[in-house]
Amino acid sequence: MQKAMRAIGVCCVLALTMSNLAATAKAAPATTERYIHVKVDDSTKGESVNVNLPLSMAAAILPTVNKGTLHNGHVTIGEADFNGVDVRALLDAIRTAPDNEFVTVKEKDQDVRVAKSNGNLIVHVLDKSKDGQKVDVTIPMKVVDALFSTVKDNELDVAAAIQALSDAGDAVLVTVQDATEHVRIWIDSHSASE
Amino acid sequence: MVLLGKVALGIAGTVLAGVGLICSEGMIEVNVVEKQPEAHHVYVLAPAMLVPIGTHFIPGRKLSQAAAELKPWMPTIRAALEQLRAGEDITLVDVREPGERVLVTKDGGSVVVDVTDTDETVHVSAPLRAIESTIEQVAAASPDTQD
Repeated sequence: MQKAMRAIGVCCVLALTMSNLAATAKAAPATTERYIHVKVDDSTKGESVNVNLPLSMAAAILPTVNKGTLHNGHVTIGEADFNGVDVRALLDAIRTAPDNEFVTVKEKDQDVRVAKSNGNLIVHVLDKSKDGQKVDVTIPMKVVDALFSTVKDNELDVAAAIQALSDAGDAVLVTVQDATEHVRIWIDSHSASE
Repeated sequence: MVLLGKVALGIAGTVLAGVGLICSEGMIEVNVVEKQPEAHHVYVLAPAMLVPIGTHFIPGRKLSQAAAELKPWMPTIRAALEQLRAGEDITLVDVREPGERVLVTKDGGSVVVDVTDTDETVHVSAPLRAIESTIEQVAAASPDTQD
């Protein structure tokens, strides 16, 4: 009789433990944190800089900064920065257009290429001079849309862009390579850059 | 004899409670080790709660000046500390140069700064709660703070 009671007791404890574990698993947050990483390597000097920042932190901090051109997560841009170009109209045209190469400039000392591919805006610049730089920028169109989602024409919504970035998949956003330095900015769900 | 024992127990209990209260915000750790032949080693492990208390001893004029400079950034600092506290452990900044390394990490409930160069190594660990209380204490010294 005592053995039977013990066995029932053990079963009850096990059942309670299992149900607790299941409840904990259900309660666990489904979203994983996303991180923005910046890595700068200077091979000639043997220097490197790594910065890792949770996107949620960037999204929380940005709206609190009110300094210079940055206010409530929006950056104010002067007319001169757009050089009279209607960037919204331009981006709208690119967004609605199928994947294509929009701009290709080939000069003696520089190549520039702007294209849309797989929902990304791609900018590629190659400086052919002696210490020339190679710049690759790949920005998801959703992020570009978010950046220009403000009501005012002379503002960029950086906070919305960060929110859009956190919803996007892993991506290398910017790489810059010159004779000595390599800069890389990317997004993923790993807290460490290596 | 029994009365003496009760008094001793009371004193020991009070001391323990006091130590517990003082250490409730964690400990600040500073470790500096010089690498020269006549090496100095400085190691300080102090209750973090003493830092906000220590702000009371800063001259009023300097504290007001610091508070005025700090005040516009308080929402940003609060947001950053809140996110740091909620987030998992992370290496925020890692700078390497030949013979030098600077590492800023969030480890548990603390912000840890490790600097290693050819002359010395410096390790500073401060609990986030203590950083927050100290900054709030300094910001509260602003003349126009009416919280």
